[in-house]
Order: sequence, then C-alpha cells, then structure tokens
Amino acid sequence: MAVPAPNSSESTGEPLLRAVDLTKHFRLGGMFSKQVLHAVDDLSITVAEREIVALVGESGSGKSTVARLLAHIYKPTRGEIYYRGRPLRGLRSRRDLLWYRGEVAIVLQDPFSAFHPVFPISHGVMRNLALHRPELSGGERRREAERVCETVGLGPRMLDRYPYEMSGGERQRIGFAQALAVRPKLILADEPVSMLDVSIRVGVLNMMASLRDREGVSLLYITHDLASARYVADRIVVMYAGHMVEEGPTEAVLSNPKHPYTQLLLSAAAEPSEKEAEIAADSGEPPRVINPSEGCRFRWRCPYAIDKCAQITPQPTPIGATQVACHVAVAEAERASNPASITR
Amino acid sequence: MAIPDISVADSITDVEATRAPRRFLRTVFGNRKAVVGAVILLVMAFVAAFPGLIAPDDPQAALYAQNAGPSSAHLLGTTQLGQDVFSQLVWSTRLTLIVTLIVTAIATFLSTIIGVTSAYVGGITDRALTVFIDVFLILPVLPLLILLAAYLPPGVTSLVIVLCITSWAFQARQLRSQGLSIRNRDFLVAARARGERGIYIILVEIVPTMTSLIAASFLSLAVYVVGFAASLQFLGLGNSSELMWGTMLYNAQQASALEAGNAWWALSPGAAVAVLGTGFALLNYAFDEIGNPALRPVRRKRRDQPPA
Amino acid sequence: MTNPLLEVDELTVDYQTESADVRAVNQVSFTVDPGEFLGIVGESGCGKSTLLFAVAQLLSPPGEIVAGKVIFHGRDMVRLGRGDLQSMRWRDYSIVMQSAMNALNPMKNIGAQFKDTLEAHGNVSKEDVRRRSVEVMELVGIDPAHLKSYPHQLSGGMRQRAMIAMALLFTPQLVIMDEPTSALDVVAQQSLMTKIKDLQRSLGFAIIFVTHDMSVVHRYSDHVLVMYAGQVAESARTDEVFERPLHPYTRGLMSAFPSVRGPRRELIGIPGSPPDLARPPSGCLFHPRCPDVMPACLNHAPELYPVGDSQVRCLLYAEEARKAS
Repeated sequence: MAVPAPNSSESTGEPLLRAVDLTKHFRLGGMFSKQVLHAVDDLSITVAEREIVALVGESGSGKSTVARLLAHIYKPTRGEIYYRGRPLRGLRSRRDLLWYRGEVAIVLQDPFSAFHPVFPISHGVMRNLALHRPELSGGERRREAERVCETVGLGPRMLDRYPYEMSGGERQRIGFAQALAVRPKLILADEPVSMLDVSIRVGVLNMMASLRDREGVSLLYITHDLASARYVADRIVVMYAGHMVEEGPTEAVLSNPKHPYTQLLLSAAAEPSEKEAEIAADSGEPPRVINPSEGCRFRWRCPYAIDKCAQITPQPTPIGATQVACHVAVAEAERASNPASITR
Repeated sequence: MAIPDISVADSITDVEATRAPRRFLRTVFGNRKAVVGAVILLVMAFVAAFPGLIAPDDPQAALYAQNAGPSSAHLLGTTQLGQDVFSQLVWSTRLTLIVTLIVTAIATFLSTIIGVTSAYVGGITDRALTVFIDVFLILPVLPLLILLAAYLPPGVTSLVIVLCITSWAFQARQLRSQGLSIRNRDFLVAARARGERGIYIILVEIVPTMTSLIAASFLSLAVYVVGFAASLQFLGLGNSSELMWGTMLYNAQQASALEAGNAWWALSPGAAVAVLGTGFALLNYAFDEIGNPALRPVRRKRRDQPPA
Repeated sequence: MTNPLLEVDELTVDYQTESADVRAVNQVSFTVDPGEFLGIVGESGCGKSTLLFAVAQLLSPPGEIVAGKVIFHGRDMVRLGRGDLQSMRWRDYSIVMQSAMNALNPMKNIGAQFKDTLEAHGNVSKEDVRRRSVEVMELVGIDPAHLKSYPHQLSGGMRQRAMIAMALLFTPQLVIMDEPTSALDVVAQQSLMTKIKDLQRSLGFAIIFVTHDMSVVHRYSDHVLVMYAGQVAESARTDEVFERPLHPYTRGLMSAFPSVRGPRRELIGIPGSPPDLARPPSGCLFHPRCPDVMPACLNHAPELYPVGDSQVRCLLYAEEARKAS
C-alpha cells in the first residue's frame, strides 16, 4: 500500500470512524427551488474497532443517507467525518480516495439489483481486487476471490454463476464477499437482511458477527428491525427524522429506553412469543423533513411533549450509559439524581 | 461459531440457467417475424459477398441492346446505355449494404456515447448535451443537404458524413432516457463506491446492460438509413458512377426510364431498398421481446391427459 | 357445530413454463369457519400468494387450477361461470392486495374508486355511494375528507387502510389479505393490525391472512397453516403451533426470530433455500434442509398425518398417526 498509514487508533485513542455534526440537505425540484429536504441533521456517531454498531430507524429517518455519506458517495452539507483521525474532506487525489474505499466498504440493501445483470457474480469481487489489491497477480486474485467466498459460507463455484441463478441470501453473502475482498476495516451494511426470507436472515446475521470476531472487521448495521439489531450489535444508535435520538450500549438502550420514540419502537417490535401486549395505538408516520423549524421532530407523536419541545431542538445528553436527545428525559434524569429539587 | 454451511444450496437453487447467447438465439428463432428478417439479411449478405455467382456479367459494361425489356438473357432488361439491369442490381448490393452498416454503426455509437454520458454525468453537462442533441434533432435536413452539396464532392463519403450527422440524434434521446432510469440502480452505486472511474462505469457497467436497446436502435436506424440514403442519391447527392441502388434510381430517372417503358430499371432498385429495410425491421421484432418479456406471447401447451 | 364458511379441498395449481410445469400449490386443503382468523405462513416461493389467487378465482395463464375444489356457500367456485362469480365478488368475499401502491388507480381519487366498486357490484344511488364511502373510511380510521385525495397524496399506511375500507364496502363474510403490512414500517404495521382485529371483532367477518411474519400470525390468528414448497407442512390452532411446533420446518421458522426481550441466545435458522419447484427433490420436499432427516425421507413423500387436533406432513409422525387410527 503506497499511502502512509495514519496513526493507529489504538495509540491515539481515536475511534475507527467518527462523524461530527453530520448534515445532508437535498434541494427538491430543480436548481431554483426553495424546498430543502433535511435528510440528516447534526448527527454524531462513532464506530470503534472490532465493533458492530446498529443504526436503527424507520424509512425516511435518514439512515441510508448516513451510510452513503460515510461511504463517501455523498458529500456532507455540513459536518465532518474522520477516519482514523483523518478528515474525509482532505481526500482529494484519486489515490487518497481509492485508499479510503479500500478501508471502508458498503453492502447495499437490495440483493436483486445490487449486481450487474450481464456479468457473472465474480465481476464485483474481481474489480474490487483489481482496484484495491493491485499487488496480487491474476491467479492470486482468483484464489483470494475464492477465499472471501468461503469466508461468507459459499462454495467457490458460486463465483461463476450469474445473479439470476442465485437466491437472495446467496447474493447478499456475495455482497459481503465483495466488501471483504478489499480487506476493509469497516463495512457499512445498509439493511442487508430486510429483503431476505426470515430463515435466511439469521445465517447472514451470524456471518456478520463472525466477521467481527474472526476477521476483526467493524460493521455499521443499518436496519429498521430492533430485534436483529439487538442480536448482533454492541451499540445501538436510534434515528428519527434525520436526528439521533438515543444511543448507547445495546442492552442499556433496550432494557431501559429513555426516549419516547425508542419506547414506541420497542413496544411495536412484535415478539413471536408474546400475545396482545399493551401498545399505544399510534398511527403516526415519520415526517418528510422539508424546511423544518426548530424543536424536536417527534413532538407531534409524543405523549409527553412539553412547551420546550416545540421551541428548542434537543441535543444528545448523557444519561447514565446512554445519550438521549429529549428534554423530558433529561429533566426526569436530573430530578432523579437530585432528590432535593423534586417538587411534589 | 460455525457459519452454517449452505453449499447444499448449490444443488437446490438451480434456476433455469440459460446463458445470454443461447437465450438470444432462442428468442430470435422463436419469433417468426425475426426469422424472416434474418433470412432476408443473410440472403442480402450473401449477394453482397458473392455477386459474381449470381450475375456474372459486368454490370457497367455497356455491351447490350439498349432499353431492352426483360428476357432470359437479361432478367430485368437493360439500361439506356445497354447495361444489364439485373447485374447492376446485384453488384450494387455490396456498396449499399456497406454504406448502410457503416453509417448505422457510427450513428449508433455516437448516440450511445453521448446519450449515456449525458444521463450518467448529469448536472450541467447533461443539460448542455441535451441541448446539443436537440439541435441536431431539429436540423432541417434538406436545406442542410443543399448547403453541403454545394461544398462536398458528390459521392459515398459525403453521403456517409451527411447521414451520420442527421441520424444520430434521435436514438441519443432514447438511450439517455434508458440511462436515466438505471442511473441509481444499486449496482451502479456499488461501482461508484468501489472507486471506479466514470468512463469505466459508462463503458463497462452501463452500456452492456443496454445491449438489447442498442441492438433495437441499430436495427430501426438501419431501416431509416437504407431509405434515406437511396432518397439522397435519387436527388443527386450521390456519384452516379458508383454502384448503389440509389444511384440506379437516379440514373433511371435521368434517362426517363418510366416514360421509355423500361419500368424494371426504374422500379427494381426501389423494391430492393424496400426489401432490405423490411429485413431490418422484421429482425427488430425479436428485440422488442428480449427487451420486454411482458410482450412475449404466453405459449400454452396442450394437455395430453386429464389432470390427476 | 356451524358449517364452515369456506372449504378448500385438495386444491392444486400448476404454472406452465417453457421448460416444465411447476406445481405451485399441491393438494392444499383447509377450512375457514365464520369469523375465524386463519393465518397462512411461509417464505417466498412457498405458494401462499398463488393459493390466495386460486381461492379468489383470480388466476390467469400460465397459472391454472388443475384439481380440487373451493366450496363457498355450498358452491364450488372453481366450476362457477363468470356471471355467478361476479355476483359473489366483493359482496361475499373481497381481497386486499399486497402493496396498495400498485392496486390503487393513481389517476382517480379514493372516493371515485369506491364509487366504481360500489357501482360495479350493485345498483346504488349517489346518496348510497356517498354514505357508504364515508362509513367505511370512518371504520378504518381515515378522515373522510380524504375521499377527495389521490393515492400519491396519502402515506403508505393510509393507502393500505383505504384498500381495507374498499374491501369492506359490502361487508363481506370473508376478507382475503395478501401480506397487507409488508410494505409498512413496524409502527404503522402495528396500528394497522390492531385496527384489522378490531374490525373483525365488531363486524364478524372471517379473514385469510397470508404473511411471512410469524409474530403477526401469533398475535392475531386463531388457526395457522404453514406452507412449504406448495404444500401444507403443518396445520394447527395458533397456540398449539407456537407452544409445540411439530414440523421441523415450523420449528426452524420459530427459531429464526431474534427477540427484543428475553435472553440473548444464538440462533440457527434453516440452512439452504427453498427448492426449485421445476426440479423438486425426491421424497419429502423439505428433506435437503431438515435437521431431523431420516433415510426414508428421501424416498417417501409424507402425507398429512393427524396428531391430536393438528396435522403434520412429516414422516416423524407417520407411526403415531398409524397407531392412533
């Protein structure tokens, strides 16, 4: 590798990937329109080495945009992304960009359109090897392609098949194999199991966990399904309407959710072994955030909203082991830790 | 933790695996119209390659009786200079076909590159290229021709130039539309995320997915070129000493063949043009079906025995 | 003992493709009682959607019912003519499609589509149309002002509710639903299912609900049909199936759900993929993926064996069934 390695994160204490105040806006309707879609606003997120972080949110929450921002497919409107301490903004030359793409790889959601329909499935893997591992000879590349195939649990003969000859689960695994071919430190997985049959999902989730354990790869797992997030992730980040609302270690967030939206998601995550639990009949939908005003974007659906929620946008505040962006939750926590100030 | 072994899936999911070339042949041969078209074109190709086998007479030798009607010696009669019309027709096939194919190839190439690049790059480049395409689309052809005819020497080269300029733009719009529709498909996002260069993406990732559309464009353009080339030559843009069906039409017109009663000379080149155009058009039907499986007829098989 | 509302008997559907005939639905039998909620679960390719279409007599070539009966109100719908079927459609039974986006006409507003449906199936006055449209909108919880809205102006959840409203226009006795919640987010899904269950309780119609989501089936259905590769793998009352799943496939499906609460445990799922029905495996169709496979499974195709009140298509229970009979 020709690019000099930046300081290893272990020595500086810098996490593998760190995004600060990440913001992405899209202008809707042509060059002169005033409508601006706020896909992501002021999101800060970190991923450490050998860690799986789940980014959870419904559709329209901005999570796929985050993936593309971190993969350097979109450029942020504001904010900065640091990979091992190096800001992405500083990557200018083709060499720098190629280096980053060899460190951070993305796996896309739809296994039915993520592959070139005309070429065999080996195409993506071989191109990745050609671009990012130029030191390998032709024969070595083929062997490496077979190796990553086996790592994801597929036989090497799969490489010569065409996408339409493979099932969704197999294609998704090849998606991971493609990512692994560049030997990344971080894989961004955008809803990798949503379009798969239930019984296949678990296999892919297990594979993701083993990538972390055996290959030392970190993953950002983007999903709307809390249950699968809990199954694989070390930490959970919950998004709503472009904002981060709660984040922390998985068990801490799920056993004691503080943000009302997290609570709503948890109660709606149906359990195969529970019957007719008490759930608030919520009929709201995540909003499309166009030219938004200040204030919490969840307030219209929130049963606990107070005046402050409409005036000031809540910022992520540490409460215990987690961070929560909610005025009511923060006030609760302050009251709980400061009994003298409780007024009954 | 063991990764579940799914190599068992190798034997189970064996979806009907027809590779592209076999599927292509099957689609062409499954479609009767396309087969007729293919046969016409093959016959034309043969005639173009081996004209001597069919019409051994020298087409330009003015040896025979002038303005003679059809006979066993001269299947389509003779010209007013005493040349054998049938020989001329047969020997003209080669140049006509070559010119058609060259022009269509160049125009298809231009329209593909410009259309797809415009769709893929987007932004200002797209707007600029779209304007560029539109300008060529609305070019008034005849005034342009008259202008060019004054400056360009009459002949095949000029013909090729003029035809290329005036025919590439139409398909460019179509191909641009197609490019726009697949622009955000995941495999292209993946290619960008890999770090592929733009040119690579256009040539290797996008264009191969459009092969049936490009083939259909090529064939429909060929129909147009065949007819238009002949028309241009008929109007005098060609060089009357070159052996092409259009120039035959011109010469026949100049010699007032119809009035002289030599209808075969006047009409046979036109018929040949029509047949060639039809061949391309018929072959094109096959590509409609490849491109859009919904157009494939549902072939119901006869039930031989009653249901169990 | 009430008569069943719907009785499906050995229904078999074939698709004629260029290379071979594919048996998408293979001798499926089940009954639906009045007011019952029947859940049909299975993964992609198991034939559940084809089964629904066949029951509703909506199959078109190359799919074709080749055997079996669908008895509704004492008449076999497979053998009914178009006129008779047309009079039953929407009045006696209706169908809610998988993704409302595709089923609603984007060029007409909701009210116009209700009007079309009402007029197609009965003689109704303008006043009747208006009154009934408002009624069904209120039933499903949409502001009747949205009768003037076009589909693209409504959110996904609302469109799906509009589809359900349309299905209830004539208060049919049976509503067939094909994965109505799969295109929705988890919270919208929740509220829609609650609403459907409420409606069922108050109006008393039966539901055949097709889904891949076991949790929905568990929460809302009375009876479950588990399908695999076009066949019924297991048929049982809901609590039975979830307490004591009999078929190895059902057990595999249950264990493929990570839970949000409860202990974190390692899950296995089911290795492999559903079979290609153009080239089905020999013997039991599930045997290549079965953790409990026996040598007999490769050669003998199991029948549906009764086990208590349930039925299982698995050789593991052949002995038990034989002893019981």
